[in-house]
Amino acid sequence: MRRLDGRPHTLEAYDAALASGDTETVKSLVRDMLDDGRDPVSVLTDVVAAAQREVGRRWQVGEYTVAQEHAATAVAISATKIVAAHVQQVPVTRGKVIVACAEREWHALPAMMIECALRSHGWETTLLGASTNPLRLNQYLHDLGPDAVAVSCSVLGSLPTCRRFIEATTASGTPILVGGPAFGVDDVRAVALGATAWAGDAHGAVVAMDALPAVVEPARPLSGERIAEQAALESDHRRLVALLRERWSLVAAATTPDADCLNSVIDVADDVLHQTLHAVEVALLTGDFRVLPETAWWIDDLLRTRGADSTMMGELVEILTAAMRDYPMAATLLSAHFVVPLDWRQTEVTAE
Amino acid sequence: MAVTPTTPSHLPPRRMGAAVASDARPGEQFVDDLGRALSGSLNLRRTALRLLTMIRPRLADWGMVVLPGDRPGALTLVGGDDAGFHTVISAAAIAEFELSRVLRTGSTVLRHVHMDVDAEADLAGMIPHPRLAAEAASMRPADLLAVGLTARGTTIGALVMIRCEGRGFDTRDVAVTERVATSAAMALDSARLYEERGRIASVLQSSLRPPSLPEVDGARLAARYRPAAEHLDIGGDFYDVYGQGDDWLLSVGDVSGKGVEAAALTGRTRQSIRTACHFDRRPEVVLDALNTVLFEERTKEFVTVVCARMRRETGGRLTVDVAAAGHPAPIVLRRDGHVETVGVGGTAVGMIARVRYEPATVTLQPGDTMLMFTDGVDEARGADGMYGVERLTALLPRYAGADPEVLCEAIERDVLEYLDGRPHDDIALLAVTCGG
Repeated sequence: MRRLDGRPHTLEAYDAALASGDTETVKSLVRDMLDDGRDPVSVLTDVVAAAQREVGRRWQVGEYTVAQEHAATAVAISATKIVAAHVQQVPVTRGKVIVACAEREWHALPAMMIECALRSHGWETTLLGASTNPLRLNQYLHDLGPDAVAVSCSVLGSLPTCRRFIEATTASGTPILVGGPAFGVDDVRAVALGATAWAGDAHGAVVAMDALPAVVEPARPLSGERIAEQAALESDHRRLVALLRERWSLVAAATTPDADCLNSVIDVADDVLHQTLHAVEVALLTGDFRVLPETAWWIDDLLRTRGADSTMMGELVEILTAAMRDYPMAATLLSAHFVVPLDWRQTEVTAE
Repeated sequence: MAVTPTTPSHLPPRRMGAAVASDARPGEQFVDDLGRALSGSLNLRRTALRLLTMIRPRLADWGMVVLPGDRPGALTLVGGDDAGFHTVISAAAIAEFELSRVLRTGSTVLRHVHMDVDAEADLAGMIPHPRLAAEAASMRPADLLAVGLTARGTTIGALVMIRCEGRGFDTRDVAVTERVATSAAMALDSARLYEERGRIASVLQSSLRPPSLPEVDGARLAARYRPAAEHLDIGGDFYDVYGQGDDWLLSVGDVSGKGVEAAALTGRTRQSIRTACHFDRRPEVVLDALNTVLFEERTKEFVTVVCARMRRETGGRLTVDVAAAGHPAPIVLRRDGHVETVGVGGTAVGMIARVRYEPATVTLQPGDTMLMFTDGVDEARGADGMYGVERLTALLPRYAGADPEVLCEAIERDVLEYLDGRPHDDIALLAVTCGG
């Protein structure tokens, strides 16, 4: 928000319009900012993305329903489309970039923002939408012959599929830039997956893009027991989610007749199960075990803000460990790392 | 201290051969690696880039590739110090140049560069671009080696390389370069063929891609399109929105069959609907006209379509007249979460000479959404059988009052997650929500 300190009213007005789902006001606010000569990338990162983070926080603490979150996202997409139309006027002075979301990545908005940011810096961009399969990316790689590919991953489940993007892209000698919350706060996961570069946000993506080499070597094959176990987990994902749903009493309680009060908990139960299994996969795939305490903290916070029974987290760990009987490395990782670090929880309590 | 140090990239020529001296064919491994690397892309410029990156510094200190341009009589020059540099020149303009002989005959030319004369002028015959020639001259070149790139009986281009002082090309280097050229020429020619076909395909394809949706006053539109062959971007399903002011025709349809043949018929179907619509926008009349046209064409395929004429009334509500031809009926999601199926049905178009289509009318109040879709949605096969209309109608209430973009994304996501990576039929969704 630093860059817009002089205009607190614009931000407040934006937040208010977003909260009431007033698309027209949001669109005209964005138009005004651009007409005032604001840097389009800053409008995206400091206004649209910042507001989206706030929306995500409100959902996390249970202030927003899923429907409200969806409405806010729709408004943010409209806002981003205004920026996209604006940056189309920038002449193309750099090469071609394909911006894409890997399979299982349904958050199209961050990729749209990255596309806008790169377009505003003179790149000729092609946006492939949410959840794109590697075959389609391949087709575009050969048809367009881009200078680079940029991939945005918001959810952990899209990191294994992002690895397939990395293989496809580097096989054609093309460099690939990755980023998004699923990669965490540094380039550890990106490097492990064989990406050419990592960026923390849209500004970072613009800078990183200029430093990419023209031609890269094919990504080295991933192998070893951890990788084999991750592949097995990936193909077993649906069965495991179904199994955990059956065993977790949180879900069982929410499907009884007097479940109304638990509706907000059941809303998140599926997210929790998918996210946990994907975190285990990412830990196996990248060797970055930090993803496990991060996810444990996220779930713990989510359950507490929704008033779930405090034993639910412990029970989840138990049934998870039991479900990992065929996955010894995953089971070991879970018992060692799937805990909320004590100091994190204390920080949270102090903050309240 | 006037001694010039020999940097690692300027190794004397003998060193290169030394490591592979025992090989029957020197540079075997390098030529193999290069062939494999070049087969990774089917894009002409990227393949050339890769070639240029791989030959430096092993084979040359500077390189340029000459390739056919994107129109007859044009040549593309790629290379130099800036890997991204490429420019197009006219073949006729360099007809008398030394380079032209290489391009005509596919021959190899090795010559010393005379530094005592104007090196830039000396190089221009082989490097016909001022920026590239200046760059090459500034490197104090010792030798220039040009080899024709010949594949499948035709010389398609040339590879021009420079080595600096103290590191000339010996006969062994020339032999390795010629084998590199053979391997590279095959990869470049395949990329050229692919690109040429690709250009034809993309022009034809562009008219078959889903259209971008118009801005409609008093309504919000959203659509999704996922062909069975996702990488082709086109398929046998289609949607279209046509009209102006307060009177629009929305259509969603499905041509029997898949892939390119089906896609070709979607183009004709969409055009027929638009033409019919020009004369009379009533959906039953549009379907009747479409049926007659397709029946008389005697195509083997048939088409299922649903058409909806949408008119804005006072008070912001929309009156929608719907008619269907063998197509799943649209679903209305009321603002309060109530779900209704529009009662329409009829024979698919193109099968029998005369069909009467019966329209039904629905009214959309602000916040109500009408969803049109193809059977790729309800007939998606997952682990538990077909996705089914029931699953769809059960999903919808959660999105009551939501933006149509959000609704379409939720359905697409739910169906794809249900499929869990299994192949699917073409999927098309078109949603309209009443209210701006």
